Amino acid sequence: MSLRALWIISRENGENVSTFSRRFSTVEHRAKKLAGSAYVAVPEENTVLQLLLTELGLTESDKSYVALRDDCLHCRRSPALELRVDGPGKRTLWPVLAISQGPLILACLPLVDAPPEPRPPLANLLSVSQGLTLLAGLETYLLGSGSKLDSEGLSSRLAMLPSVLLQICPLGTPLDVPPLGAPATPIVPTPAGNQKQPSWKTGLHRGRAMVNVALIETVRSMQYGNQSRQDLWDGVLPNVMVTLTLPPNGSPLQDILVHPCVTSLDSSILTASSVDNCDGSAFSGPYKFPFSPPLETFRLCSYTSQVPVPPILGSYQLKEEENQLHVSVILKLHESVKNSFEYCEAHLPFFNSVVDVRVSAGQLDVSKEKNLLVWSLGQKFPKSREVTMEGKISFFGPTPGPTDPLYSDLTAYVKLHFKVPDMTLSGCCVDQHSVQVYSSAKPRIVTSRELQSKEYFIWNSTGTAPVSSGQMML
Amino acid sequence: MAVNWAERISAFSRSPSRFLSGTTAEAFLAELVRELRDDRASYSVKVLLLSPLCESPILLCPSDSVGEETALELMSVFAQCPPKFVDFRCHLLLALTSVLLCSSCMSSCSCASQDFLDLLLEIAQDISDIHGDGSLRSLQATACDCLRELEACCPGILSQRLELLGALRQRETSRLHQAYAGLHTLVLRNAVYQLTQEAGAGAEHLKALLGGNTSFAWEADQDSGLMNKKDSAILSSVILGPVGTVPTLQTGPDCKELRSVLSSLLEESYLLTPLCQAALLHRLTEVVAMVPGVPPAIFRAQLLRLLGTSEVCLLHSILMMKCAFTDSLFSAEDEAFILKRLVVLSQHPLLNTPPKLFYMDCLLHFPENRPINCSDGDETLPVLLTPQLASALVPTVFNDSTTMLTRFNLLCLVYLEEAEEGVGEDGRGLAYLYEHLTSLMHIVEHGGSREIVVTFFRAAFLFLSYFFYVERYSNSLTDKLCELYFHHTQLAPHLINLADQTQDRLSGSTWGVGLLKALQRAITEAPLSQLTVHDLRWHLKMLARVAEEGEIPQQNTLNFLSCIITPSSSSLCVSSGWRLGNSVLGVCRRLLIHPSLDLLLIPLADILQHLTCHYGDTDIQDHARLYYTLLTTLSREKLASVLMQGEIQGGQQVKKQSLSCIMAESEGLTAMLTVHQTERAIFKLVEVNSELEEKMQADHESDLNPNETDTCPDEATAAVGAYRAQFNDPDFASEITLNFQLTHIGAHDFRFDQLFSIHLHFSLMDDHYEELSDISVPCLFRERPPPVVKLHLKPRRPYPTTLCASAIFTTQDGLSWHTNLPDIHVDFQQVFMPLPAPQAWGRASKLCLFEGLWDEMCQESRENDCATSRFCCQLKEAALLALVEKRFLPFLVSDLSTNKELKVLLFLPPQSHVLLKIRSEEDAVHFDIATDNWQLLSHIGSYLLTITSSQEDMQS
Repeated sequence: MSLRALWIISRENGENVSTFSRRFSTVEHRAKKLAGSAYVAVPEENTVLQLLLTELGLTESDKSYVALRDDCLHCRRSPALELRVDGPGKRTLWPVLAISQGPLILACLPLVDAPPEPRPPLANLLSVSQGLTLLAGLETYLLGSGSKLDSEGLSSRLAMLPSVLLQICPLGTPLDVPPLGAPATPIVPTPAGNQKQPSWKTGLHRGRAMVNVALIETVRSMQYGNQSRQDLWDGVLPNVMVTLTLPPNGSPLQDILVHPCVTSLDSSILTASSVDNCDGSAFSGPYKFPFSPPLETFRLCSYTSQVPVPPILGSYQLKEEENQLHVSVILKLHESVKNSFEYCEAHLPFFNSVVDVRVSAGQLDVSKEKNLLVWSLGQKFPKSREVTMEGKISFFGPTPGPTDPLYSDLTAYVKLHFKVPDMTLSGCCVDQHSVQVYSSAKPRIVTSRELQSKEYFIWNSTGTAPVSSGQMML
Repeated sequence: MAVNWAERISAFSRSPSRFLSGTTAEAFLAELVRELRDDRASYSVKVLLLSPLCESPILLCPSDSVGEETALELMSVFAQCPPKFVDFRCHLLLALTSVLLCSSCMSSCSCASQDFLDLLLEIAQDISDIHGDGSLRSLQATACDCLRELEACCPGILSQRLELLGALRQRETSRLHQAYAGLHTLVLRNAVYQLTQEAGAGAEHLKALLGGNTSFAWEADQDSGLMNKKDSAILSSVILGPVGTVPTLQTGPDCKELRSVLSSLLEESYLLTPLCQAALLHRLTEVVAMVPGVPPAIFRAQLLRLLGTSEVCLLHSILMMKCAFTDSLFSAEDEAFILKRLVVLSQHPLLNTPPKLFYMDCLLHFPENRPINCSDGDETLPVLLTPQLASALVPTVFNDSTTMLTRFNLLCLVYLEEAEEGVGEDGRGLAYLYEHLTSLMHIVEHGGSREIVVTFFRAAFLFLSYFFYVERYSNSLTDKLCELYFHHTQLAPHLINLADQTQDRLSGSTWGVGLLKALQRAITEAPLSQLTVHDLRWHLKMLARVAEEGEIPQQNTLNFLSCIITPSSSSLCVSSGWRLGNSVLGVCRRLLIHPSLDLLLIPLADILQHLTCHYGDTDIQDHARLYYTLLTTLSREKLASVLMQGEIQGGQQVKKQSLSCIMAESEGLTAMLTVHQTERAIFKLVEVNSELEEKMQADHESDLNPNETDTCPDEATAAVGAYRAQFNDPDFASEITLNFQLTHIGAHDFRFDQLFSIHLHFSLMDDHYEELSDISVPCLFRERPPPVVKLHLKPRRPYPTTLCASAIFTTQDGLSWHTNLPDIHVDFQQVFMPLPAPQAWGRASKLCLFEGLWDEMCQESRENDCATSRFCCQLKEAALLALVEKRFLPFLVSDLSTNKELKVLLFLPPQSHVLLKIRSEEDAVHFDIATDNWQLLSHIGSYLLTITSSQEDMQS
């Protein structure tokens, strides 16, 4: 359940350099005892870096084939890499876990607390899931959850890392993930009673108590996934109950995952899953989640749901006519969806082409640099709930420009980006009055809902889409 | 002194070996400790200084005694540090833990480690700061972490303290209870494990253990030898899957105490962070697995909460429980539910890639209640994973490559069963997988990135490794790959690799040969008019690989070669260029050893002759001529034996350096051209009795016959003058020669039995000597007498020194190696030379010179560097004579047999002298020393001390 070493590698000016490393000597000491003659020492930083980059396929990017890197036999099929340390007997360092995100590669080497031969499965090594959790926590801490990279913040957080590690992984045994936001307050004794303070709660909330339940559903063109969000409290272990309810014939919430602060769950809540066809008698709510909140905003639970019709039904046709392409797009808003968007845009990528199209509503914007046609529909669809685009596209020859091998010939798509406030597709909602708080403080309770698009693709119906869903086939 | 510690420390952690080559571990450690004790240094710097001790204690404290000493130093630093520097104090505790554990002071129960344990327990129990600012709390948390690590590395060390630890855990209400809980659980687990190893231990022992609070294991249990146990089994998890056996402790159903401890720990588990919770659950799972008296149902209350979790480590702890308890905790329905849950998690949109990959790996090692086959370590599908369920995990082109390959592999396993059960070749699952492979190929064809290309070939290999026997698909794949190759010839290395690996790994499959045959056909049958130079390069590479296959007829290849080298109007003609010519020759060379050579003889000879006469590069012409000669004059068997050598030995990697290899084209040459580094020293230089010394000894003996000539000076100043005149020549007697033997060392390694062209390089560690020139040794064979190496040293100052030696050599297989030799120490006495007096001088003249020099040196005022001294020791007369004979005979100026006073003149190049007058007084032997270089006094003093004490030892 411990780690032998931890590395953080960052990409600077196109080169990967090791920016932080930590070896845990006492764990290494245990590793040596455990592995006996099969022990493989951790090489020095530069060697590890080279070996790791080779495994990740990031070395010698100017060569199309390097045997060590590209051998078809050497196929990575688990989160654990195997570093081929040089030397007799072809020894390997295993299992090295690595996460590559943005400009960073984070890696660690968990201790194998099992006989080294035959190689134990990852499922038998708790240190592997612990390592993954720690790496993910470090990644969120260093890069932040936002999409934009803040390089100044990154370097200051990297500088803080030694003292953060003192708290969360002092001798190679991960105890927690790094705290987000303000650094952890020192451990203060709790004011009253025998109730123990949760270790995941870094202090006490000071200020007005408030419950803010935000229900955000994201919708994909084929598949829908959602999350709900949750906020703040006071007291050591205040109990809160959030209840999700569905409309009378709503389809059940599936694949529910909950935050570890949820104190108990009813088994029926977990039964529905997207991977098997559940019978009609499935549980359909209300879904109760009793929990005690940590200080920071957190994701209380996530679920998926199967909705029979897409909120926006699209049709996209590209036809070849002489040296031109005839393009036609129709978007139809389903009647159950509120016709009030925060935004709604359709993106059509075109490479090396001149576009001449008309639309029935909204505005067009051609972005030459991005090879993108943006069709902005604004806040509302027209009364008819249907919009169209017609026109011609001509290509200007084989000029060099960006191409995407995925979208060749007639393989093309429209990608929709939209957000609808105050609605969910599944119909799932949290009633403000159903939120129960068992605490002396009377918190303000706020709830909200919204629907967002994510990976919402409409493929050209006359071309071959590069993806087919296995589930639909079988 | 301004030292940039941040830079130095980071240099150390980047590469400790490189850092320590510039200093010694001892010196660096001393520096660190000094700086830690320095009051002027800031505490943030001091925190930095501790990191080498935390990360590489074994380098800095290589022995127990150094570790112990360092620990004592650090503890006194800790005692003196004001409490407000919490961060530094915490880091100090970590450094102490690392030093004591890694230098194995802890396992040998040294004083420092006992003190340290006491200190930690004292901190952990301290309640003085209950309403303070919390600074003590952080220190307490760290102290608990240190105690936990000590217990983890030396299991059982705290087992007698279980009750205390339990009480501390229960008392604590702040976040700190987590640290106590972690410590308590680990100690409990180790204590129970140890009981399982003791014969006859039962419920009573367990009860005593839980109530015990005596002392550390080594005090209470000195003779049981727990701490010294070499067995590392206690360190490994007891939950190992179907084949592992769990050690058990028979207690009967009555173990109330243990049960109550377990339930109290479990009740509070919710309050721990997910990481600590998972560790706690795992430890408790181990405990319950070892004590059958406690029913696994004790975990039931936690299960539902954990099954719904989004945390990977918490779900993992459930899987480990399942592995440990199978159907005694999980019903068949539970099992189906968990499996379904794993499938859900393997593709849940909320999760990142690494946990998803982990869950998929868990699917393939699913701890089934009733596993059908107990193959440990192999990937097997759980029975309950139906194709229907697995369809949630079909790969798509939008997956990242690792996810795609993982899913592809999993689905291959699923459909393999389907195919084997005879559901038939027209299984739709298999069809989907093949379709997926083709859509990947489609992307490759449209210029996909390098990653996609590599992923495609890996997927293809996976597909073939499961389904190569389904001819419909494997044949179609061959055709498609040929087509792909034709549009993207630069994929040749990937295709060759695929062919190689399928041939290697899939016994019983001829798919690889089939692919090569198809590629040969495609290349040779394509219209030559469209051939470009770029494609031709790859074609030749491919044909060379095809020519290695004995089963594939090569006529087409020959036709192709002959077409491209003969000029014609419609197609490309290869008539010059070394690279292309070499590629053509590469194909020819393989054809020379092809089994069907008889059929190929005439066309091949034609091609070689054509190249010989018409090719535009002389080197290629020469090679072609050689091949032609070989082909036309040697019998097949001889030809094969000449050319095959390099091919067979060690597969494709190692090629013998022989005629054939020079002729072969450049692939594989990298290994030849690279200088490899050896793992350890292969040979060393051992000093042998220097020839010079022997010669001088002989000279000295001849000197004993007094046949002196009169031409020699017999007056002191004249002698000194004549002697000094010799030094006008700067090269005069400026060199010492040391003789060494070069011999193998270390374990027998057949690769290094015969070494050639050894080139020795020496470097100096100081500037007392002139740079040495390199030395070549023709060969070194293990079974032959070792070659002698003469080292010519030219001192600037005649002090002892150490030489670093390295060597480059060649092994029998033609590889070049670089190796380091053990350091060579040049001792002070090795610099001694007999007096370089003119040849004609006899003893009398030398005596004169001795006296002259002695007088000069005693007049201290004359030259500053001169000095005199005296060394006394207890030696009997006989011992003294033996000593002189043994050590000083070549340097003796006076007569050994007659004179009361022995005079020894040591000459040390370039121009130093040490003169000794040795005589026995009544109380002791006196060595009067005079030298013209006072810096030599300390060396000669210690040398005399060494030799006289060893002589004394011999006496007694």
